[in-house]
Amino acid sequence: MTLVTDDRRRAGAHTGGPRRSRWRPSLSTRNNLLSYVLLAPSLAMSLVFIAFPIYMIVNLSLRDGKTMIMSEVGGLPLTLDNYDTVLSDPETWHSLRISAVYTLAAVAGAIVVGLVTALLIRRRLPGRRWLRTLILIPWPIPGSIATVGFVWMLDGTYGVVNYLLRAIGVIDENIAWFFDPQTALIGVLMPTVWSAYPLCTLMLLASLQSVPDELYEAAKVDGAGPVLQFRHVTWPAVQNTAVLAMIVTGLWTFTTFDFVYAITRGGPDGATQTLAVAIYNQAFRFFDLPHASALGVVTMALAGSALLALFPVVRRRFF
Amino acid sequence: MSRSMVVRYALIVAIIVVLLFPVYWMALTAVLPTRELLSPSPPLLPDLGSISFDSFQRVFELRPVGRWMANSATVTAGTVVCSVVFATMAGYSLSRLASKVGLIVGYSLFAVRLIPTTLLVIPLFMMFSEVELNNTLRSLVIANTVVIVPFAAWLMKSFFDSIPVELEEAAMVDGCSRLRSFLTIVLPLARPGIGAVAIFSGILAWGDFTFARTLIQGDAGTTVTVGLVSFVGEYTADWGALMAAGLLSIAPMVVLFILLEPLLISGLTSGAVK
Repeated sequence: MTLVTDDRRRAGAHTGGPRRSRWRPSLSTRNNLLSYVLLAPSLAMSLVFIAFPIYMIVNLSLRDGKTMIMSEVGGLPLTLDNYDTVLSDPETWHSLRISAVYTLAAVAGAIVVGLVTALLIRRRLPGRRWLRTLILIPWPIPGSIATVGFVWMLDGTYGVVNYLLRAIGVIDENIAWFFDPQTALIGVLMPTVWSAYPLCTLMLLASLQSVPDELYEAAKVDGAGPVLQFRHVTWPAVQNTAVLAMIVTGLWTFTTFDFVYAITRGGPDGATQTLAVAIYNQAFRFFDLPHASALGVVTMALAGSALLALFPVVRRRFF
Repeated sequence: MSRSMVVRYALIVAIIVVLLFPVYWMALTAVLPTRELLSPSPPLLPDLGSISFDSFQRVFELRPVGRWMANSATVTAGTVVCSVVFATMAGYSLSRLASKVGLIVGYSLFAVRLIPTTLLVIPLFMMFSEVELNNTLRSLVIANTVVIVPFAAWLMKSFFDSIPVELEEAAMVDGCSRLRSFLTIVLPLARPGIGAVAIFSGILAWGDFTFARTLIQGDAGTTVTVGLVSFVGEYTADWGALMAAGLLSIAPMVVLFILLEPLLISGLTSGAVK
């Protein structure tokens, strides 16, 4: 970069051209100027529509009273009662448990399906592009619509899943998946995993393809079967990516809402009321925005500390 | 073909059959008459003679599916344009600025992921009411763009990282301004990345449920996701029509995805998700 400026200056000195008399900011200043100008719109947008809303949430969570109008918020008295209510409410801890089970189960399901599919299409084989596309098909399908499809498949009377489970002898009587607190969460988990696995497949596939075939050949020569090959060649190569995929999927599941809300809305009997759904119900069913905001702040604090605990892994893989 | 290849293909086909069964079942339900489906042992393979497309006709009479699709298309188009423009500009600048700024933005990205959309929608709802944007498709474009741009900008950054700075420097030696070298040299090279970001944001905008459910109250602005979910409670008996509507509402994005999948995958795997 300095070479360029020097050349120019020298050229200007030789010809005595007009360039010398006009002040021009140095090249690196100009470079950065353009970068900041290009960054400005996104930055402004994030300040107005992300940073300010977060401030609003914190502000709301400290107010006593119910309102949905922004200009009225400032007039409400300040209080810590909302946090007191949220933290002493057994429903909060119930929702945290549901969220934890939902998130862990979805992550486990998605990573297993993702790993199996990625391993199957890892090697070059004719038509792989189309097989990969077919495997990733759930990706562009909206979660709420996938859920509607599963609601029909899991129907208590005519659902095909009940039929198949009966046919292979797993169950004797139909299960009313979404109406039974015992099974509602499993019902919601199915479309969740179905929507979540393609990203895992993709991430794992990318890292699997970076493993040279020679490693497998060498393992084979040493007499390693498929299981040993997986343990000693595949897994060491993909474990970091797998952990990252689990974190990304986990965050996504923890904050998602579509799957639950498209059918059970948190019911039956709170069996599917995750924290994200509880926030929504507080805000837009009971219209208690301060309570919802306090619950949201607590939720973010929980998610944040979980992420902080995993921070070393994130940093190693992502930056 | 070797034996192991055959086994591999068989396994792949088997897993695809299982994974795509929900889509197959949706399609089958849409084309079979209801009386055949409402049975404790529904037919897994259709009797080709009984296939009919009545459900597709019926669903348009039952519900304004056409308008839902048009609304979703408007929101998606608006969001894609905004996201691509914002993300391309921000991505380029993050890629060429000092790495410290990029790092800060990278961490904030993870912070943004911590916010449940159900929480973010509360202040957005209040803000949009304040300026009377509620109930407009514009509010959905803004809300979707806001949550998509952080990811999209990061994707674009890693794409710009793969374009050597030397190209721009060479152009500047030849007297190009920084802006011109960005527009005429870097942008054309970044087209695959821009394409990937466009599909990525299109999928997210088309699939949005939280914002569309909350920021739009009347029937006029209903999108496909909200419309379809509202359909479940009211016409539970008419699964044929419901699945026909479902099929129609996933079709545009699925077709786009099938055609452009390689572009999306290469765009995503070139950087952010490695």
